Order: sequence, then C-alpha cells, then structure tokens
Amino acid sequence: MRHVLVIAGRELNSIFSTPVAYVMFAVYFVFSGFTFFLSLTGFLAALQQIQAFQRFDLLDQFNLNSSVIEPSFGVFSFVFLFLVPLLTMRTFAEERANGTIELLLTSPLSVWEIVLGKYLAILAVLGMLVGVTALYPAMLFYFGDPELLQTLAGLIALFLYAAAFAALGCLISALTRSQMSAALVTFFAGLILFLIDYFAEVGLQGTAQEVVRYFGLRAHFEQLVSGVVRSDDLVYFVVFGVFFISTARAVTESLRWR
Amino acid sequence: MIEVKGLSKRYGDLVAVQNVSFRVQRGDVVGFLGPNGAGKTTTMRMLTGFIPPSAGSVCIAGHDMEQEPIAARRSIGYLPETPPVYPEMRVVDYVNYVAAIKDVARSERAEKVDHALEACGLLAERRRVIGTLSKGFRQRVGLAQAVVHEPPVLILDEPTAGLDPVQIVEIRNLIQELAQQEGRTVILSTHILSEVELICQRVLLISLGEIRIDGALEEVKGTASLEDVFLREAGRRGSEGAAST
Repeated sequence: MRHVLVIAGRELNSIFSTPVAYVMFAVYFVFSGFTFFLSLTGFLAALQQIQAFQRFDLLDQFNLNSSVIEPSFGVFSFVFLFLVPLLTMRTFAEERANGTIELLLTSPLSVWEIVLGKYLAILAVLGMLVGVTALYPAMLFYFGDPELLQTLAGLIALFLYAAAFAALGCLISALTRSQMSAALVTFFAGLILFLIDYFAEVGLQGTAQEVVRYFGLRAHFEQLVSGVVRSDDLVYFVVFGVFFISTARAVTESLRWR
Repeated sequence: MIEVKGLSKRYGDLVAVQNVSFRVQRGDVVGFLGPNGAGKTTTMRMLTGFIPPSAGSVCIAGHDMEQEPIAARRSIGYLPETPPVYPEMRVVDYVNYVAAIKDVARSERAEKVDHALEACGLLAERRRVIGTLSKGFRQRVGLAQAVVHEPPVLILDEPTAGLDPVQIVEIRNLIQELAQQEGRTVILSTHILSEVELICQRVLLISLGEIRIDGALEEVKGTASLEDVFLREAGRRGSEGAAST
C-alpha cells in the first residue's frame, strides 16, 4: 500500500499543472461567495422587517444555521454537481488515452494501489474545496453565534456527498478513453441521483417511493446538513463510495483483457 | 533469464499468438522480427504481464508471471510502442515517479534517476516539460523510464519507429550501451533489419502468431541476407496479419 501516496502525489501534481483546476477553484469561490453573501443579506433583511413590524414572536423561526448556512450549503452541493465531473474525468480516461495505463499495469503495483491513490488525490482536492467553504460559517462565528456541531455536520455532509459522487466519477472515467464523455456521463448520472427523489415523490407511492428515495443522494445530504446525524445516511455515503471504487478497480483490472 | 512456454493468445476466434516457446539467456540481445500484425506487440505485452496469456507461461528471471507477478514485473524494464509519458510532467519528476512505483528505495532514488538520465543523455533536459520535447527525446525519456530501476530484462517495442535517421542512430547506440551494462537481457522488436544485424546476437521471427525462426544471427542468415530470410518466412503468407497489434 506504500505506492498509494506516490500515485496520489503524481495525480495531485497533474491536477494542479492544468488550468482546469484553477478555473474550477476560481469559479467555485466566486459562486459560493456570492451565494453566501445573498443568503446573509436575505437574513438581515428579514431581521430588519421583524424589527420594523415589531413581530418578535417570529424570531424563533430565524437562526444563522437554518436561514444562512443550510440553504447556502444546498446551493454549494449543486455546484459540486458540475465540479466533481471536471475533477474525475481525467483520472483513468487520460491514462488510457496516453498509454500510461500500460506503465502502471506492468509496474509492481496492485490495481487497488492505483485506484486508491487516484481516489485519495481527488479526496484531497475536495477536502481543500470544503476547507475553504468552512471559511464562510467561520466568519459567522466571529460576528454571531451559530451552532458549532450543526455547522460541522453540514461540512461533513458536503464532503461525504462530493466524495461519494467522485467515486462514481472515477468509475465512469475508467470506462472510457474520452475525458469529455466521462465528464458528461458523470454529470448526468449525478443529476439523476440528485433529482431522483423528486421523481419518486411525483410518480411513486408506498414502498417503491421509499426505496427510490433511499437511492437518491439529496435526501441523505439534506438530512445531514440540517444537523441530523443518522447512521443510515452515513452508511449510505460510505457504501456508495466503496461500491463505485471497487467497481472502478474491477474495470481497471479488466483492461488487461482487452 | 526469459523462459516462454506454449504461449498463446486468442481474442474470440482470432488467434493472435499461437504456441510460442523460446528461451533467452542472460546477456543476450534478441531481435524480434515479423510483419505488422504478426503478434509481436501481443507477445511482448504477455511477456511484461500487461495482458494475461490464454495459455502457456512466462518466466522472467526465475519468477513466474502468473505465480509471482510483482517480482516478475519488478525484473522488467518495458518501453511500449508509444512511450508511456505524462506530457505535463518534467523529465526528472517523471523518471523519479517511475522509480518510486518500480520499488527503488527512497535513499537510492535520486542517484538512480540521475544515472538513468545520464545514460540516456537527458541531463540537460532534466527540467524540461515532457510535452515540449521532440519525438527523439521523448523516446529517450521512455528508455530512461525503462532502465531506472536497473532491471535485468529490457523489453523494447519498436524503439526506433518514427524517428529521423540521426535519432535512430542515437537511440540504437543508446540501446547498445544499455544492453552492455550489467549483462542485461534485451528483447527488441523492429522493422529495420540492418538494426538487428548491428545490435542483436539472436533473431526471433514471428509470422501469423507463430515463431518461424529462432537462432543465432549468423546461423539464420547462412548465405542469404536477413532481408531475404524475412521475405521468405514472413512474405510468403502475405502481410494480411492475423492479429491486432
């Protein structure tokens, strides 16, 4: 397993030697900063109205966590739907197009080491993105008094959701030589997982609805962001990630047979 | 050093390589000849453990490829048809990375990387980004990558294809030097027959997936030129090769 870090290091190096990574970071910061600013000004406007109309009874419905942090994290998760495919598209597709997969598969490495190394690099980048996201609520702690644990649950939710989705992205990248098709398919797969609970609510009833809802990413994400840490949501994310990463390993191994 | 027994590869009904057996002694430089599609690349990929054979076995430096794949792969330096480089990396970083995944100990890595760069004439280019290098230099990077962990066996798939005449001579001399170091065993495939006469002691000729000729260069040539031998063996069944490369 000592090769995992070597593979991850090279992968990170590659990610940051293309402009795509920097554009991605810039877009994320501008967009997330703007979203956060909007939800914060919305919150302030609501408070001013409460003051103007002397309706202090409404105050219990407003707090920094449910009015600012939760909704902006919801929007951030939507941005990840675009960013994660850009990040994962090259992982395996590029190795196949370059022919470097031949180097990896003829080196004294196990395929697990290759796949885990690459995934680890992606997780590191997602960790950076979520780490910077943490600055927004951190500012609120300076000026106000939000719930610490609920905020942490939100950050963990964002990371787990992005990590699980990235595992799917790695698998899709392993299936093709074309980075563009990997990105597109990953994006639409993510979109479906994101919207599947709406479909379930409209088109299904009873057990079928429950089952389909369970497969959707969003319900689990929203539960966790709202501060409800339940083991079934955590298990969902972990199983989701493990399943797709092991499938990516199997697909990479199967390249030997083509 | 290399022992191949009854090696076959089938893709569905297509037989790419059929019952290939040969042995290569330590220090031999073997020219692997054959028309396009004869199964050269497929055979080399089986030798390096990139693809598993449908039947037969490969044993490298005493390690069976199926039983001890990690040890067997560690003993091989492999240059595929297109050098497996990352265009965005710097030469020295790339060779260092390959050294790391080929299990060169951290303490020896810098020294061995320098050694490989020097042997391949890349010291001046060590800080260059691989994507900006010419084809000849990229081929050198591919060779440096293959020898950095000082493997006893080198497998080179058409190392001089697509280069200009000057580069061909340079790469050929380089291979000759690398082969002489530490009594290395080399198998290289090529279409340039004079190249085989210059650097190889032994010839393997494969056509339609089967070994047609296996012997010392002098014996194989006999009285005819290598070209005549090649045309006689490979040309007679046409070059509508049986297999994918």
